[in-house]
Amino acid sequence: MRLIIRDDPAAASKFIANYIIDRINTFNPSKEHPFVLGLPTGSSPVGIYKVLVERYKAGAISFEHVVTFNMDEYIGIPREHPESYHTFMYKHFFSHVNVHPSNIHILNGNAQDLEAECVGYEAAIKAVGGIDLFLGGIGPDGHIAFNEPGSSMASRTRVKTLAYDTIIANSRFFDNDLEKVPKMALTVGVQTVLEAREVVIIITGAHKSLALKKCIEEGVNHMWTLSSLQLHPHPMIVVDEDATLELQVKTVRYFKSIEAVASSQGFEQILPSKVRTGPRPATKSIEPLPETKQEPSILSPQPLTSTLLAAPATEYPLRSITPELIPDRMGSRIAAH
Amino acid sequence: MPSAITTGRPTITKFTNCRLLKGDQLVNQDLWVSSSTGKIVRSQEAFYSEHSVPDITINLNGRIISPGLIDVQLNGAFGFNFSSIPEDPSTYGKLLRQVNKSLVQTGVTSYLPTLTSSNKDVYHQALPHLGPSGRYRVASDGAESLGAHCEGPFISPTKNGIHPVEVLVPAPNGFSDLEDIYGVENISSTIDRDGNIAPPRIRKITAAPEIAAMTNTIQEITSRGIVYSIGHTEATYEEASAAVAAGATMITHLFNAMRPLHHRNPGVFGVLGRAESLPRPFFGIIADGIHLHPTSIKIAFNAHPEGFILVTDAMHLVGLPDGVYDWGNGERLVKSGPKLTLEGTDKIAGSSISLIECVNNFLNWSGASIPQALKAVTSTPAAMLNLQGVKGCLDSDADADLTILDEQVDSSGFKSLVVDQVWKFGSKVFDREE
Repeated sequence: MRLIIRDDPAAASKFIANYIIDRINTFNPSKEHPFVLGLPTGSSPVGIYKVLVERYKAGAISFEHVVTFNMDEYIGIPREHPESYHTFMYKHFFSHVNVHPSNIHILNGNAQDLEAECVGYEAAIKAVGGIDLFLGGIGPDGHIAFNEPGSSMASRTRVKTLAYDTIIANSRFFDNDLEKVPKMALTVGVQTVLEAREVVIIITGAHKSLALKKCIEEGVNHMWTLSSLQLHPHPMIVVDEDATLELQVKTVRYFKSIEAVASSQGFEQILPSKVRTGPRPATKSIEPLPETKQEPSILSPQPLTSTLLAAPATEYPLRSITPELIPDRMGSRIAAH
Repeated sequence: MPSAITTGRPTITKFTNCRLLKGDQLVNQDLWVSSSTGKIVRSQEAFYSEHSVPDITINLNGRIISPGLIDVQLNGAFGFNFSSIPEDPSTYGKLLRQVNKSLVQTGVTSYLPTLTSSNKDVYHQALPHLGPSGRYRVASDGAESLGAHCEGPFISPTKNGIHPVEVLVPAPNGFSDLEDIYGVENISSTIDRDGNIAPPRIRKITAAPEIAAMTNTIQEITSRGIVYSIGHTEATYEEASAAVAAGATMITHLFNAMRPLHHRNPGVFGVLGRAESLPRPFFGIIADGIHLHPTSIKIAFNAHPEGFILVTDAMHLVGLPDGVYDWGNGERLVKSGPKLTLEGTDKIAGSSISLIECVNNFLNWSGASIPQALKAVTSTPAAMLNLQGVKGCLDSDADADLTILDEQVDSSGFKSLVVDQVWKFGSKVFDREE
């Protein structure tokens, strides 16, 4: 788990946006080898989209070969409804950048057969080779996507009834009329998120500090679905200072020191090159590191997930990541071309 | 940027980095228009369901997109007077088409060609050319007629302005007199060759309600989809109120050619007061600095901002050099800058001002915001003509008639909007820089 702490929401958003841009550019996506990005809606990610749009307009990033999958969508409100997630995504992101509409996937809450819609969504994710980076936010109750407290940690894309708390919270967007708030939604499951090769979560504000504490300082618990991230090989949570209010000082200092030490030593906490460039067969043969180093020297206990969860994340590493040497990074970039 | 549309010709244009006139605000938002439908694209739906992406993206660098301007009182322009039939009447249509192409370059994308009081045969010859012209949605045709405006001849002989008194007539027999003067086929819906119902060629009639049976005829006029406008009238407040009750929804050039506001008899202006339980009509204002004192304009605006429509009432001399010009019946007009008078008198003979100049005058005289000033030439005239959602707005599915404006302030602090580009039915028809 990486926990990145920034002073305010704007700095946290900027960090994530720049991280995503860096990831996509390193990945060097092409038509045949697109970068697959999972996307959230909500108030926290707005700042991230804003920076992404600015950087796109400045020419720092192209989304031409980026395939997107959104987390969720309400059931039964028109796609053009001002509160639909289609509208949100169009307004904050898609209308400003060059993501091609045929590369965009958002669950259709008005599908004739919602069950088929969900199955098709999972199949579509598989068809493009899985999600490279799933960006997400959480609710004050620690829910990720619409996986409300009590959702199965092995859940997949499905119809979900919204918690009463969420309905009340959402009513502010629907004339404060509970009757108008959609009661159901389509959402990716916890397992769908965990299968992404990397998960990045933004959490800002004091009202989410309890959720952050539950998710990183306590155990895996289906009442705080984000805590499932503890089972993921490459999770990163980016927060502002306010969101750390409930954390122990020790926790905050620990994560801050990791970041400080890493940067003082001249390396960043980066992903293994395979994850960074995606499962690209051509690069495998010229991976500079000896094959043996990929194997664990000591047989470590199997991760808990492999027994808890039906399907492990793709490219599951059996050991913690050792920061790679700079020459190796260069090599993998050259190979990518 | 990849295109999901396979047509060879670019059709969808996206404007970005622009400010859109939406209600009382200038909103930072993109706008998509289609030259194949001639409409503003429901961009989100087109994006998601048809996978449409813009063929061209235009960065406007913060300039304003206004709906195309609408002038509901224009008597002629660029030397052509709609009310004077040329020696060879067959050239009328050709001359009109030239006016339309020139007019659109001033930012006016639709208008009501206005006929001043004339003999019967003028109406019969001119009106067939002046009906709504946008049915085939051809951008290169230029400014579009939304139908003719007949100002007279059923007006008061004592408030005639420069309309020749000898052609003024009362309508004692009501609607049949109007049919006789204007022509039955011009004042009624017709069925065209394709079997479609075409609206009457006349869209608006200015008449004095107190003359003969006019007040009782208003309902018959409005039932044809024609706007009845009070004007050139000696009507008292009571008579004007009766006309509004009968269905009058407009006042032609408020203050001009009517009794002035008197504190014991407020006259036509009085119907803008809130006291009566009647809907308040729209009203036209000529903001050329000659017809009205700037303060009168401000008072009228404050009395009923939602009804405030800027009109030019421009004569055919707009766009021509200063001098003395023929004005039929042996009379002549003197043009001196934006001022037009009847030779030998000090009678104001309409204006020679452009609509955007009226907007700029109003902007500087009143302290109104840019959206308020632009509404007076876009959404308000569209509402008066019952064209909400089609003209005068930037809503999805409205006609893609756009006037792109640059905001400039000169050294004296005079704020002005300059017409940079004009788009008609989704295609560019004018660019100041080209």
